[in-house]
Amino acid sequence: MDAKPTWKFSDLIADPDVEERWEKVRRYFFLRESTYDMTRHCNIRCNGCYFYEGEKQHARENANPEDWRRLMQAEKARGITFVVLAGAEPSLVPDLCRICYDEIPLGCIATNGLKRIPDDVGYRIHISVWGNDETSLNTRNAKNMLSRQLENYAGDPRAVFVYTFTRHNIDQAEAVVRKLADHNAKLTFNMFSAPVGYRGNLRHTPLSLADTQRTMIDLLENFPDTVLFSWYSAMAHTHEKGLHDLFGCSYPRRNNSTDVGLGRSFRQYRTDLTWDRAAACCVPDTDCADCRHYAAASAVVTARLFRHAVDPNTFRSWLDFVDTYLAVWVKGYVKGRNLCDETVCPPGAELTAN
Amino acid sequence: MEPENGSDGIFVFFKGDIQNMAVETDKIILRITEIMINELKLEDVTPETFDPDIDLVDEVGIDSMDLATVALVLRDEYAVRIDEDDYPKLTTVRLIGEYIHKKLAA
Repeated sequence: MDAKPTWKFSDLIADPDVEERWEKVRRYFFLRESTYDMTRHCNIRCNGCYFYEGEKQHARENANPEDWRRLMQAEKARGITFVVLAGAEPSLVPDLCRICYDEIPLGCIATNGLKRIPDDVGYRIHISVWGNDETSLNTRNAKNMLSRQLENYAGDPRAVFVYTFTRHNIDQAEAVVRKLADHNAKLTFNMFSAPVGYRGNLRHTPLSLADTQRTMIDLLENFPDTVLFSWYSAMAHTHEKGLHDLFGCSYPRRNNSTDVGLGRSFRQYRTDLTWDRAAACCVPDTDCADCRHYAAASAVVTARLFRHAVDPNTFRSWLDFVDTYLAVWVKGYVKGRNLCDETVCPPGAELTAN
Repeated sequence: MEPENGSDGIFVFFKGDIQNMAVETDKIILRITEIMINELKLEDVTPETFDPDIDLVDEVGIDSMDLATVALVLRDEYAVRIDEDDYPKLTTVRLIGEYIHKKLAA
């Protein structure tokens, strides 16, 4: 017989705050995602963009509305309840986004925010921010990005700004968060995760990971009404080990099982509406060893419920993580206060020098 | 109690043990069914009418997070850990019951 764990699950949820949060998040266990590249086009070119790596950028673009509608109906029929519309820039094809929304009304669009997505597409909208405007100009070749993004999305309940930390923009995050707070906007954090074969200078180092973790926690504490994040989110994203090493990635690209979970249901469609299991993950062509992507973490950490139900702080940290992920991805879901405000090590891993 | 096959010592199970084992597994299966119905709020089914051989993923629509939830409650009940890597194999209540019984007997 196995050694009895220190904490029983029933004891972990005996705390009323914990039980309430558990009941709140478990109502969303029905979410089953797939992702879709909407168009090959984008209105900017960013250093390190995942879309313009690998084969998917060369797929023929299918912009036929009826083909998209049929795809969404088929997706719904096979159990998909949440869609992520991503590459290259979905705002350039609003009619296709609308068709997706008509068929599967839960989802999220990843956009650079330079072109406003019509209000009747009621998905969560993630607006990518890669530093201050000077940095954006250098890495994304676009002027006044944050001002233009705020013009389009300040006050929009769909919008969550996503600040991607590279190793060069850590000290710019506070000014960006302050500006977003002034506009009552919401923000979460992402980590630059190098595409396969990437030779640019944005890849993180152990030092930049440690700096990023400290910055994330400072901003989380100083801007609690603006920043959607948790202490454990900071740990999971900035550990020297990447997500796959820490938790075991459950996306098909790294998971051979087709019996249950993401390995069974997840697909990543290219613009020609085909998909390839061997390449299917939330951010294709990312170097798995360097993957700390917020989209990957949302699913990968959440899936590891069992291993986090070992002691009160580890389970509270997991609940904070899931609560954060739902607030970031599901429009209308309101994040609660974090239940654990200390650094907890991912089960089976060691704390790094962070 | 007599060994099932003479006295050559090959068999380690006795008839009575096998019968007891089956009864124990059936009890576990019934309890798993109760837990599953309760935790996952399955409707229009009772532990007695739930088919232990029905495919939980294909036919009941249970996903990995549901299995993880049930695994936690089973861990409390039987002090048995269901390894995350084993979830994909446990596609029916009977398979879960046999898995737990095997771990209990180990």
